[in-house]
Amino acid sequence: MLSLFRFIAKHTAYLYFLLYCGISILLMQLQRKETLDAIRERGLAINASVATQLSNFTGILNLRQDNEQLLLQNARLFSQVMRQQAELRDAKETQAAVANAPAWARQFKIARVVDRRFSATDNMLVIDSGASQGITKDMTVLTPDGLVGRVMEVSQNYAKVLPVINNDFMVSVVSDSSRTLGLLSWQNGDERIAHMEHVPVSSNLKVGEQVTTSDFSTFAIRGIPVGRVVRISKDKLFCNIDIRLAVDFASLSYVLISPAKPSREKIEIMGADPGRKGQ
Amino acid sequence: MLTLALVQHFIVSRLLIFHASPDIMAIFIAFVSMSIGQRTGTTFGFAAGLIGGLLTGNVGLSALIGTVEGFSAGFFHVPEESHATSVKKRRMFYAASTVALILGNMLLATLHNPLSLPAYVRLPQMVGLGTIMSMVLGTLMYNFVLKKLLKD
Repeated sequence: MLSLFRFIAKHTAYLYFLLYCGISILLMQLQRKETLDAIRERGLAINASVATQLSNFTGILNLRQDNEQLLLQNARLFSQVMRQQAELRDAKETQAAVANAPAWARQFKIARVVDRRFSATDNMLVIDSGASQGITKDMTVLTPDGLVGRVMEVSQNYAKVLPVINNDFMVSVVSDSSRTLGLLSWQNGDERIAHMEHVPVSSNLKVGEQVTTSDFSTFAIRGIPVGRVVRISKDKLFCNIDIRLAVDFASLSYVLISPAKPSREKIEIMGADPGRKGQ
Repeated sequence: MLTLALVQHFIVSRLLIFHASPDIMAIFIAFVSMSIGQRTGTTFGFAAGLIGGLLTGNVGLSALIGTVEGFSAGFFHVPEESHATSVKKRRMFYAASTVALILGNMLLATLHNPLSLPAYVRLPQMVGLGTIMSMVLGTLMYNFVLKKLLKD
């Protein structure tokens, strides 16, 4: 060991030389751009690796919070999808209602059925158009298939509709072939079947004939389809006639409101009260 | 050392002949190494190379050349207690300077070739011409300055 120290002490110049050469070569390497770039890249890789590990670790710690945020976001997105789907469906139904309507019905206002009351006697509909949309009392409510009812009450943005399938509803109708007149009403029972009254046994009315609103109606213009005769049975003076209604109230979602009304002068000269039951 | 580095960088290195210039730093390193000793000469060469490199931009290469020059010149060290004559000292100075310059210029020609000259052009230029030019300047320096620093 002592001899080693003696050797080192004797040859310190060599050690200095090697040390300085080493430092010089190191400096030369550091000065080279490729070396610096390599060191920088290596540092960046190490930095990224450490950051990834830390991120993974903190990610595990924050998993619960992230999950909650994801659930909230999911709920928000789900509600958006639901709303957009509903709007899309509404738009399609509106387009379908307009497309299927006859040419004379294009001027009609379109409303959505937003509420309905079902019972054995008092069915009632609420639509999302009111006075603001130009709806007034006694306007005719229909679909391209046929008559739905008449407007009974109007608020600012909604209106209550008395449908055909209500005990209080009556409308004057006429058959298309035999031109038989009668009064259509609905009693408790099947919501697709109404009755045609005041048809004498002598009439030529046949099963299968279509009935439409007549000129005698006090709220509806003539020619609106109401239904089709499905059964005729004769009594002493009058026939019992069943009419299958043209409108399926079970799937009613959009309606048209006709701005056209029978002439008020005609109603006045007949002495009829527009608000009276029936007609 | 700093003054020498500045003189070398701003004055002497501009005396270019065929891309070769004299090197008074190498002369001075050889002188220090020869007169004081190999260890001090090596350290001095390294330090001088660092300073020179800071001016030229090649710190590592300059330090390496300075170290090699100082170390190689150290083999021609003349101890004070040797009572060597001035002639011997002069001879040793020339030998130390020549060896240091040749080795230093060889390293420089090999490791630093900014014009990408072929080796058969670069080496003669640097080693031959550069050494001759430096030795001329070294002779002048020795006779007018360095000789007075040495004790007979």
